[in-house]
Amino acid sequence: MARRLLLSFLLPLLLLASPSLRAAGLSVGLAADVSSLDPHYLNAAPNIAVASHFFETLVAVDKDGQLVPGLAQSWQAVNPTTWEFKLRPGVKFHDGSPLTAEDVVFSLERPASLTQSPGPFTGFTRAISGKKVVDAHTLRLTTAQPYGPLPLDLASIFIVSKKAAAKAGTEDFNSGKALVGTGPFRLLKFRRGEAVELARFDGYWGEKPAWDTLTLRILPADAARLAALLAGQVDMIEGVPGADVARLKKDARLSANFRLEQRVSWRTLFLQLDLFRDASPFVTDLAGKPLAKNPLKDLKVRQALSRSINREALAARTLDGLGVPASRLVAPGIPGHGQQPAAEPYDPEGAKRLLAEAGYPQGFALTLHGPNNRYLNDEQILQTLAQFFGRIGVKTKVETLPLAAYFGRLRHADFSAALLGWGSLSGDFALRTLLGTPDEKSGWGAWNWGRFSDARVDADIRSALASTDPARRSRAAETAMDQAMQQLPVIPLHHQVATWALRAGLTYPARIDEFTFAAQVRPR
Amino acid sequence: MSESRPDSTPDSTPISTSAGGGVAARCMGRFSSSFLARFAANPAGKLALLLLALTLLTAFAGPFLAPQDPYDPAALDILDARLPPGSAAAAGGTYLLGSDEQGRDLLSAMVYGLRLSLVVAGAGTGLACLLGAALGLTAGYFGGRWERLVLALADLQLSFPALLIALALLALSGPGLFKVALALAASQWAYFARSARAAALVESGKDYMAAARLQGLSHARLLWRHLLPNCLPPLLVILPLQLAAAISLEATLSFLGLGAPATEPSLGRLIANGFAYLLSGQYWISLYPGLLLTLAVTAITLAADRLAAVLDPRRQED
Repeated sequence: MARRLLLSFLLPLLLLASPSLRAAGLSVGLAADVSSLDPHYLNAAPNIAVASHFFETLVAVDKDGQLVPGLAQSWQAVNPTTWEFKLRPGVKFHDGSPLTAEDVVFSLERPASLTQSPGPFTGFTRAISGKKVVDAHTLRLTTAQPYGPLPLDLASIFIVSKKAAAKAGTEDFNSGKALVGTGPFRLLKFRRGEAVELARFDGYWGEKPAWDTLTLRILPADAARLAALLAGQVDMIEGVPGADVARLKKDARLSANFRLEQRVSWRTLFLQLDLFRDASPFVTDLAGKPLAKNPLKDLKVRQALSRSINREALAARTLDGLGVPASRLVAPGIPGHGQQPAAEPYDPEGAKRLLAEAGYPQGFALTLHGPNNRYLNDEQILQTLAQFFGRIGVKTKVETLPLAAYFGRLRHADFSAALLGWGSLSGDFALRTLLGTPDEKSGWGAWNWGRFSDARVDADIRSALASTDPARRSRAAETAMDQAMQQLPVIPLHHQVATWALRAGLTYPARIDEFTFAAQVRPR
Repeated sequence: MSESRPDSTPDSTPISTSAGGGVAARCMGRFSSSFLARFAANPAGKLALLLLALTLLTAFAGPFLAPQDPYDPAALDILDARLPPGSAAAAGGTYLLGSDEQGRDLLSAMVYGLRLSLVVAGAGTGLACLLGAALGLTAGYFGGRWERLVLALADLQLSFPALLIALALLALSGPGLFKVALALAASQWAYFARSARAAALVESGKDYMAAARLQGLSHARLLWRHLLPNCLPPLLVILPLQLAAAISLEATLSFLGLGAPATEPSLGRLIANGFAYLLSGQYWISLYPGLLLTLAVTAITLAADRLAAVLDPRRQED
């Protein structure tokens, strides 16, 4: 009797303790709100992160930023302007219908039909000039010019079901009606601003997630997100603030129950400089009067500013260690970064000399602009830069704005020096957008607000983009990056470090693109 | 009119019985000598006076004594960031209350921040008082449609929380100290307007006003020389109360990142700066500015309460 009683107590405990028998649900705290579940509506990281649980792309990106087969099993350039994609057989949508080339063609055309999109995906489909369905699982895409990074472009276009989405609008995705993908999870419920509830899709072709259900909770406040993890309300969070990273590592009680996954991410932060105006709006002499010419146009001044920055101190102190000094516009390991590019030296004395040589021995006054809610410690970074610049005689003020207002003014090139962060999986891509000579028709220099323009850099970017051989593309991108950065059209600061915190029993392969893909969270 | 009872002593109801500018003159006279004595007549008054003096001294003499100019980025050192109280600075000297996340000497930053908070809140409240008094007095004096309009606007303002109004205005206009002062004024003027109107209504009906009117004085002169001086006491009582509220409101706005710029932190911004580090044991960045803010608001609220007691004849204890 006593034994049976004991057993009846122990058995439920055993059941509880064994993870395989528990109804396994995972709850994840996300740092940013998703504005829509329509995967073609807004090209913004928070939306892409959530969409990636429902939808997949032809070409997938692994945790290190390498392109791997996704819904396309293989692809190759059959000639410089034609690419052939072989679709993976046996892939099913959530409604049970099979994936065909027709769905892919529909998905590639859909972004252009969403004319109301505040941040369209059309940049990724622009290069495609023709689409030909060879058979149900073979697709040929043609480009007007030789275009090497087409597979990379396609890593950003989610494939939706033509049947479900053909007559659907963005709202039908939010309601779940049109939300039919091939991904590892399907939608249970979308509670706007609060959470997205998902369930495992059992017909998934790939490795099945370890979780029956998944809750993606929107917890934008850093402290609240961490508190939710510590209280056991979520199993994992992204975007752990620097101060708390130190605490999670140091505190023995916390480090026994929680673990961190960290890596240098693709996001590089830099200062964009006004290189096109003769009188820049936020550069004056020390008394606040306009200067005869724009000092930022002078390479020596840009070098002086760059050398005044103690990037090690910036990374260690301002970012609490969540940064790595940068001298390139893409992260280490990304094509175009190069093996060991020359680091920007920290040399305040040399910086003062350079300023004097450039004709500003007394310095000048500058206002830095930046967002206050976009990048890790963005406002603090600007203040620390003001310290560094101030010490070489460039009296610096800081003005920060909320993201929406900031990007609005950045788009009008309103600033003299502005903080920007950029994540890219390929150097030629980053350069084309950030430093290519601006041209509205081709989309070059879409974020080149300083209007840097250099024929040689343009030519190097062009040759990198035209190459369909990855190794040659990478080398050409590296040359372009070297060329560009010698002229310091922007001042690179640091590569951001991404951090996740999880319950001790979980693992997550930290991704270079900072995305949180819950399907890849596994019990240890 | 009902208040001017013939049997009341002139001293106990000085405001309601005297005519013309007499009260103002008497008020001024009190300020010179007996006012302070009466203010500090009881322990609460003494405490209020002491705290107020301490706050004002810290805010307006402190910056001249502070070891560092916290508003000059070049004077800061990021390598000294977040040092605990009592740490030695790289450039010599000691961070008595520690340093913040940019390496600012917290003591210096607090003293400068208090001055900034007081000046901005003071400007905002002063502006609110001027605006509210002008609208309220004219509303009470002229009556009619103008009065209904002013009252409707005041009700509209009062029906929203002050913070919401300030937030909305700053979200539209963008951050900046001057704009914060304007936002504070916009979210507080109604209190002054309603008090001023109520006082003006009472005073307008009194004999001295009727007499002045019969002399054929202009509206402007009636308002300025006769009505305003007699409506001042209630405004003087709510002025410091609103000032204390404005300091809290400014701190809240700065905490939310809409007030003082990051490089010129006011107390609210300093508290916000330390907020991220509060849980990781680096308590001092938020704690000390928070204490100073509490001291300032307490001092002004106590003083306001005492002022109300001194100015209100019905609450005179002696």
